[in-house]
Amino acid sequence: MILGLGEYLSLATILFGIGAIGFLVRRNVLIQLMSIELMLNAVNVVLVAVNRFHPDNHAGQLFAFFVIAVAAAEVATGLAIVIALFRLKKSVDTDQAASLKH
Amino acid sequence: MFETYLPVFLMLGVATLVATLMFTLTSLLGPKKPTPEKMIPYEAGSNTTGARHLRLSVKFYLTAILFVVFDIEAVFLYPWASLFRELGWFGFLEMLLFLTILGVTLVYAWKKGALEWEK
Amino acid sequence: MSWWIGVAPLLLLLGGGLLIMLADAFAKERAELATTTTVTLALSGAISFYVLLVDPVLAPAPELVTRYLATDKLGAFFDVVICLGAALSTLLAGGYLREHGLERGEFYVLALFSAFGAMVLARAADMATLFIGLETMSLGVYAMIAFRRRSARAAEGAIKYFLLGSFAAAILLFGSALVYAGTGATSFVGIAAAMAGGEASTKLVLLGLLLVVVGLAFKVSAVPFHMWTPDAYEGAPTPATTFMSVAVKSAAFAVFVRLLMTSFGDPLSTSAAAGWPPVLAGLAAVTMVFGNLAALGQSSVKRMLAYSSIAHAGYVLVGLGAAARVPELGVSSVLFYLAAYTVSNALAFGALVYAGSKGKEAVSYADLAGLGRRHPGVGLAMAVGVLSLMGFPPTAGFFGKYYVFNAAVQAGGGWVWLAVLGVLSSAVGAYYYLRVVVLMFMREPAQGAPIAVPMKSGYVLVALVASAVFVMNLGLLPSTVLEMAVAAAQELVGA
Repeated sequence: MILGLGEYLSLATILFGIGAIGFLVRRNVLIQLMSIELMLNAVNVVLVAVNRFHPDNHAGQLFAFFVIAVAAAEVATGLAIVIALFRLKKSVDTDQAASLKH
Repeated sequence: MFETYLPVFLMLGVATLVATLMFTLTSLLGPKKPTPEKMIPYEAGSNTTGARHLRLSVKFYLTAILFVVFDIEAVFLYPWASLFRELGWFGFLEMLLFLTILGVTLVYAWKKGALEWEK
Repeated sequence: MSWWIGVAPLLLLLGGGLLIMLADAFAKERAELATTTTVTLALSGAISFYVLLVDPVLAPAPELVTRYLATDKLGAFFDVVICLGAALSTLLAGGYLREHGLERGEFYVLALFSAFGAMVLARAADMATLFIGLETMSLGVYAMIAFRRRSARAAEGAIKYFLLGSFAAAILLFGSALVYAGTGATSFVGIAAAMAGGEASTKLVLLGLLLVVVGLAFKVSAVPFHMWTPDAYEGAPTPATTFMSVAVKSAAFAVFVRLLMTSFGDPLSTSAAAGWPPVLAGLAAVTMVFGNLAALGQSSVKRMLAYSSIAHAGYVLVGLGAAARVPELGVSSVLFYLAAYTVSNALAFGALVYAGSKGKEAVSYADLAGLGRRHPGVGLAMAVGVLSLMGFPPTAGFFGKYYVFNAAVQAGGGWVWLAVLGVLSSAVGAYYYLRVVVLMFMREPAQGAPIAVPMKSGYVLVALVASAVFVMNLGLLPSTVLEMAVAAAQELVGA
């Protein structure tokens, strides 16, 4: 038996859900970054899987490459901000970043 | 679905069985004479030093980030290389533009001192 | 005209950005990066303005380009708006960074590449280009917010915006992947064709569309996805705040308009039960009411302007939603509103930049007390800026609001009530906008309070004069820009 699109979509949805929950529940910036990576990779699963069922122009494969590259750039920027925050606050906990609340 | 993956499941079962068997047998049959010397963590035969969590210098971070950013660009080079002849001059010029942008970025990072280890 | 004129502004920004990077790295003495960047942006916008004004019909571009990047009038219109907003921000930065000891070339490079990303986003014709443009724009903005490295507030604002922004981008991406799964296409035209052909899986597409709308609503800071806005706006250096509030918002609305009009104009997607119009109407109503009410209680003018920008996103959403019923009128009103909002907001933030000096920003209401009497120039700029944001005739903001609410009234039905709600909530807005003017001209600073001293900077002066001229020009002679907006809207909706 060959897996259908439904199975891939379910897998991706579960991965995306784990990432989203991880992002919302955890307060460590690094873990939150990892959760976002998981969400992006869930998207890549969908893109590559759909590409298999619509192989006419390989739009999904191509899109997935760009998602990978952009995710790397995103992490680089994010970590730079985390380092800046850590130097000032000595913590990577997002609850510590609360001085902007009134 | 099950038929397709049957060999995989079989392999999984056999591997688990063999591993479990070996561990159980050694712990049941093998002789045990613990001494303090034997109980310390094994680290290539020499004595262990320092704490478990090493604090790494933040300098590694910059190098690592530069590596990640430039490394990921290879994602675009592989498909281009495998279709080099089909893409022709247009593809070649486009990749040249892409690599020029990357090159300028590298020069910028270099000139700004991001590649210096001792500062 | 030849098609490549359509993408020439993008190439100019890219080449200019790379050269400025090299100049920043190699120049021994202080290079005039602010001037160079502003000129690059202005030139880039001028090309598109010239195209719109003289000969808006470009030769059709090769399919290799148009599949990913539109070369239409809508794109050219937003080139002008984004470049104008970005150029005004970099001019403000030229004065601000020097005055506050932040003079580093990176700011200009980030602003330039971020504007490039915004223009790619506004021209996106494929989900992939949408995502790349969005991220190119956002990554530059995250870095610009964190530009004050000594400031914990800047780092906090940046990390909040970064985390929530990446989260929203992931949601948008998952949405576009679901649309791809439902239609088998990532290009906007391909999605529309699949929807019209009836081969699309409606459930997947509607769910995907909802997630995409959420992601874009985050970028335009619509309630309830606005949480990052006040913090990021306050933590960022004021020129970066200006850039975010004008260029980022315009680009996000540009792709919003293009995506909804190109891909989701079919009866199912625009239906009152399952489509996007009711979602946008709800977002617009909540955003207008909440933005205006929250702005009332602020003690910092910078934060007040942040909430005001949330409220303005609500007004634009009214026009965008109305476009489901009256496409041409709705889209053109959104375009005109964004142009008017860009110059008005740049003027108000510019006045805020001008009011502070020597490492001390003047951002609270208390700081501004009596400033208009001591320094009429600052007072006048701020007054014109906030009056235009308030929608006071004959400024740009008045016509912006007029066209948006007019589109809603023409759309009829529930949209009329939304227009009424919009007018009522902008009446609330009058209070906090006028409060700034009253404080500046009719109050004296409290005893012992620090007295704000405006900076002396040619850059900021030029930016203020330019944006004030645009505000009055759009208010007194709106026809040129309005005609361009209508032409762009007609081409987009195929009328």
